[in-house]
Amino acid sequence: MEAGTLAPSESLGRGVPVEYKRVYLWHWPIRAMHWIAALCIVSLVVTGFYIGKPYFMTGGEPSDHFLMGRVRFVHFVSAGLLVATAIVRSYWLFVGNKYERWRALFPYHREDWSNLWLVLKKYFFVQPWKAPHYMGHNPLQQLAYTSIYGIALLQVLTGFHMYGLAEPGGFFAVAFGWVGPLLGGTQIARFLHHVLTWVWVIFLPIHFYLTIRADVLHHESRVTSIVSGGRYVRADIEFVDD
Amino acid sequence: MYFPSTHAWSRQETLGEHMERRGVSRRDFLQFCGEICVMLGISQALTPRVAEALQNVRRPSVIWLQLQECTGCVESVLRTADPTIGDLVLDLVSLDYQHTLMAAAGDAAEAALHASMEENHGGYILLVTGSVPLEENGIYLTIGGRTGLEIIREAAEGAAAVIAIGACAHFGSVQSARPNPTGAVGISEIVTDKPVVNIAGCPPIGDVVTATVVHYLTFGRLPELDGDGRPLFAYGARIHDQCPRRAHFDAGQYVEEFDDEGARKAWCLYQVGCKGPATFSPCPIFQWNDHTDWPIGAGHPCIGCTERHFWDTMTPFYKRLPDVAGFGVERNADLFGAAAAIGAVAGVAAHAAATGVHRARQKKAGIPLPVVPDVGGGAPAPSKPSGEEESNG
Ligand code: SF4
Repeated sequence: MEAGTLAPSESLGRGVPVEYKRVYLWHWPIRAMHWIAALCIVSLVVTGFYIGKPYFMTGGEPSDHFLMGRVRFVHFVSAGLLVATAIVRSYWLFVGNKYERWRALFPYHREDWSNLWLVLKKYFFVQPWKAPHYMGHNPLQQLAYTSIYGIALLQVLTGFHMYGLAEPGGFFAVAFGWVGPLLGGTQIARFLHHVLTWVWVIFLPIHFYLTIRADVLHHESRVTSIVSGGRYVRADIEFVDD
Repeated sequence: MYFPSTHAWSRQETLGEHMERRGVSRRDFLQFCGEICVMLGISQALTPRVAEALQNVRRPSVIWLQLQECTGCVESVLRTADPTIGDLVLDLVSLDYQHTLMAAAGDAAEAALHASMEENHGGYILLVTGSVPLEENGIYLTIGGRTGLEIIREAAEGAAAVIAIGACAHFGSVQSARPNPTGAVGISEIVTDKPVVNIAGCPPIGDVVTATVVHYLTFGRLPELDGDGRPLFAYGARIHDQCPRRAHFDAGQYVEEFDDEGARKAWCLYQVGCKGPATFSPCPIFQWNDHTDWPIGAGHPCIGCTERHFWDTMTPFYKRLPDVAGFGVERNADLFGAAAAIGAVAGVAAHAAATGVHRARQKKAGIPLPVVPDVGGGAPAPSKPSGEEESNG
């Protein structure tokens, strides 16, 4: 999701000099985690849909094939990797800069909540100039990304519960055995795990669009911020979270 | 085939003596004890100990209550073409009260029940099949004019051990499925002051009941249970992990319809709704009817009958995912998901188009995208740019 409607420099008329400054937002662990998690999520969605409904089948002797076995292997490894990124990310919630810290997970101040409304209106082309500018995530982005973390957490819990079924008494069975009964049965956990996958499929195009849109329209250098860690922002604009 | 009983196992007789009288050879008896050890997952080295303990057992008093149920469990446990020693043990122990099988009826049967409960207070084993309805003070089940709730409370009070047999006694089975009109619950919800063993399944395998009873008779205590009160020796592993079709699952070979080539080749039943991946039961190992076969062996997907509330969470039986909300979501979840994803892409495209139109109109009106009115002012967004109305229109 993208924020901070910022006038492109050319809208001020060509040749008008505009000052830009560079701000550093995301430390390398955050960037690394973002891209590793992105790869894991793509892999999890693809393998997950296969496990949910195996649309390719093999013929011949079962001993010659291990299709579902391999797909599940990839799924489990990706899940483990995703959890590893989540652990690093959680640690960084406490040691990161103010854009990365836990306070940046939610609209924290009253002011942020009123800004949320302005940002929302901006996305619907209503008085876009009124929307405030944020260096890091605006309130709407905060809510969206934190919800996405929540979705991932639900899927990890339900997923580990199902994973634990294969080894009763093992670590996963003991640590996540409560998830199934809490939801009303393993099948309910399976159902949730399955439908929540669609959230990612819905999230991705919106995420791409809004991020790239901000770059194209407003020259916000959002895309590069998750690659290089920094953004170039107009020096003459006031940012709420500067 | 063993001899029919000429007279009941008397109180003075040990089980060993009684078996001998009915034509069970020492060899057969030891073999039976060995099998029980295997089922219980205890060392074969303990076979002599089990045999010794078992043959010295004096007739235990067992009361078998049948509450809200269909008698299927009784059939499953007691009826086989060729009675095994296991059946004998069960026949023997179910003497005091079993209202379907006992000769006495009416007041005489109820009198036998009360006599046994008083005489053996604190010492009898209570087997229960069937659930207990609670709605409207339990009037949906009465035996001899008393509600099931009263009967089970009274019987459990003096029991040494309570063994709940079958899905009804486990959690209420089909009568407790949404919307559960009679308010049926399992035995463990009524009897909370002592451990209740759940021999789960609809119906359960008779061997599991036998083995549990033998465990109690041998060791004087109930076997180890899982979180749902089911004996671990039987319900400790998932069907999916013991299934002979598992190789086909891992290979990616699935039955898609019941009459396709995969079905003929005994491929995995995952795609036709097998609940083996969510079900803990010894079916693949113990099997049914003297180890003849079991559902998946016969080409039918597992319906998950050993799991709590399987009528609600494992249905539809021939689909992978449950019908959680009760209006066919399982069939439509992917449809809705895909529709929402397509909707998201369409929404993105529409938003992009709207952005283009918005900008084009502003350009036409000669308004630069006036978010920040001038350079160097430092004033952020709120100040109104000229031509706001047009840009907003
Ligand atoms: S038939 Fe069922 S239990 Fe057996 S491997 Fe397939 S899904 Fe698992």
